[in-house]
Amino acid sequence: MSDVFLLGISHKSSPVALREKLAVPAGEMEAHLKQLSEHAGLEEALLVSTCNRVELYGVAPDAHGAAKARAWLESRAEPGEVATHLYAQRGSEAVRHAFRVASSLDSMVVGEPQILGQVKEAYARASSAGVLGSVLDRCFTKAFAVAKKVRTETGIASGTVSVSSIACDLAGKIFEELRGKRVLLVGAGKMGESAAKHLAKQGAKLFVLNRSRDRAVELAAACGGEPRSLNELVSELAMADIAICSTSSERFVITTDLMKEVARARKYRTLFLIDIAVPRDVDPRVGEMENVFLYDVDDLKKVADENLAARRKEADLAEKIVEREVAEFEAWRRQQNVKPLIVGLRAHVRAVMAAEIERSLPRLGGDAAANKETLDRAIDAATNKLLHPVIAEIKKAADDGRAQLLDEAPRLFGLDLSSVREAAKDAAQPRTSAPGEARAPAKTSSGR
Amino acid sequence: MNGFATALFALIAVLYSLSGALYLAFLARGTESLGKNATYVLTGAAVAHVVFLVLDFAREAVVFGDIHQALAVGSLLVAVAYLGTVWLGGSRISATSKLQVLGAFVTPITLLFFLGAGFRRGVEVSDEVRSVMLPVHIGVNVLGIAAFALAFGVSIAYVVQERQLRQKKLGGLFQRLPSLDTLDKLGFRMVIVGFPLLTLGVVTGTLWAVRLDPDAPPIGPTQTMGLVEWALFAAVLLLRAVAGWRGRRAALGTMLGFLVACAVLFGYVLRG
Repeated sequence: MSDVFLLGISHKSSPVALREKLAVPAGEMEAHLKQLSEHAGLEEALLVSTCNRVELYGVAPDAHGAAKARAWLESRAEPGEVATHLYAQRGSEAVRHAFRVASSLDSMVVGEPQILGQVKEAYARASSAGVLGSVLDRCFTKAFAVAKKVRTETGIASGTVSVSSIACDLAGKIFEELRGKRVLLVGAGKMGESAAKHLAKQGAKLFVLNRSRDRAVELAAACGGEPRSLNELVSELAMADIAICSTSSERFVITTDLMKEVARARKYRTLFLIDIAVPRDVDPRVGEMENVFLYDVDDLKKVADENLAARRKEADLAEKIVEREVAEFEAWRRQQNVKPLIVGLRAHVRAVMAAEIERSLPRLGGDAAANKETLDRAIDAATNKLLHPVIAEIKKAADDGRAQLLDEAPRLFGLDLSSVREAAKDAAQPRTSAPGEARAPAKTSSGR
Repeated sequence: MNGFATALFALIAVLYSLSGALYLAFLARGTESLGKNATYVLTGAAVAHVVFLVLDFAREAVVFGDIHQALAVGSLLVAVAYLGTVWLGGSRISATSKLQVLGAFVTPITLLFFLGAGFRRGVEVSDEVRSVMLPVHIGVNVLGIAAFALAFGVSIAYVVQERQLRQKKLGGLFQRLPSLDTLDKLGFRMVIVGFPLLTLGVVTGTLWAVRLDPDAPPIGPTQTMGLVEWALFAAVLLLRAVAGWRGRRAALGTMLGFLVACAVLFGYVLRG
């Protein structure tokens, strides 16, 4: 029976150097997928290739398919290099992994949003390469739904975890609307620049202050702000709503005396001071002033750690959602697996009845022969009635995992599994024969 | 109150309490459904409250005949104004759930006013006290106090939020409350609405008292408190405009003003 398998390496199992070797560039993805499917005889394939993971999901009719796919992956690095880092999973384990990856439960920063987009991209590539079938299609559409559910029903994505975005979030909790707010970037630290860019993206007006005029001009151009001299600090602070300090100064740049002078001019308007410099730029006592909120780098890091811890706690909730959805998917898979059996049995029984009727037609008097349509409907109805309890039991056996019953069911009709599958394939093709025309019944196991 | 009215009164009080409890649970835990259900229960309470008032007015035949009716109307106005902000303004001002959190601060005030409306009810107002001025006086005061009640709720939220931000406690409660800016603006707007109404209330009250008994001393303890209330709100507005007193100072001033307003109300309720 075809089954889903997964082969992969990730940030948890392997060094980045190995991931780089196995990674498949986006442009070559479709060609690789086609080649791999053909080479390994896969029914379906999907490749997720990001900087943190390279994972191949496949559906193969037997174990050879997965083995060949593994050999293909291993051939992309030095011999023996991949084996110790590679993880392989089958069936529900592989499906669970796909759901966890899409839901960002397996990410380096749990709850980060990029991975879902990357998996969706992988899905689109596999789809356009024509190597996506009903199983992986269903598996990944389900994975996207699970990811959405996890995001909305748990707090896994709540609370940002990078210092610059936390600064931005805090600004939003103070000012609500950042559009038009005046933001000062004092100094040229990297983290400060990143926070300033974040704020500018939300419509804030940016002013870059630096000891060197040239550096101010250069930074302002990079962040989309206006350059100012550090001598204008007092007048700029009087008008500012947010100030990000990241100078390399050894002494406080914003002292209590300076702030007292500024406060009067500000008329107690709220000021959010973000001090990302080490050593600090802002005298901590400034944070005690009215309507001034001061956060230094330790404060922001503490928030980041708290948010990360909260996300991990929420991840437990998310795992439960994943577990429920995996069970649901597996139930669907089991029903899918017995579909050929059901279709085959139905086709066989119908064909036997139709053949018997066909044979009896010449001997029947009256307009029996003229009413083939009615006869056809009667055959359908009889097939359904006869097989209804059988099919119900087969479906139940699939749900309960009673494989023995599924194996033996065809024999009760004098069939073997392969002939049932064949009959199912025949039945899946559109009927070309005239209504009522009997098709040959499936071969029975006795060879009759 | 007859039997039916008493039962309805009790039902409304229970609904307000339930809604308040749900809002507090929402504030503490942040589960969306708690906030939604609290709003539904509050809406139900407000509808029942309208029915209660219609029956009450039909029976009493006088609108705003006494302080109890005034409180009954005032508490409804607080609830309706809050619900209006959540249902209509939710998407515009901020996320609806953010404003829903304010229900935790507003609903208890509604409940207190409503219970006050039932306290020592049935004290007859003598005919000589009745005049055309009385309903106007009570009417504007009720509207004013409703606005101040909302401002009070919002100001508490501001003080809580400001404290969290200062102490760097950025947990669930901090995330659920609206931004400082939103709270400051909302509180200010409510005071702006309430202040002219209060002023009109003071003027009509004085005129009415003078007409009732020109020889009586012009001002008693309750009236003095009323003037203190007026002066406090005037100061909140003036200092904001002139000296830029906003944020925490404005919130504390507003809260103090409302507490004095409650003392004035309490004085009237005790007198019947």
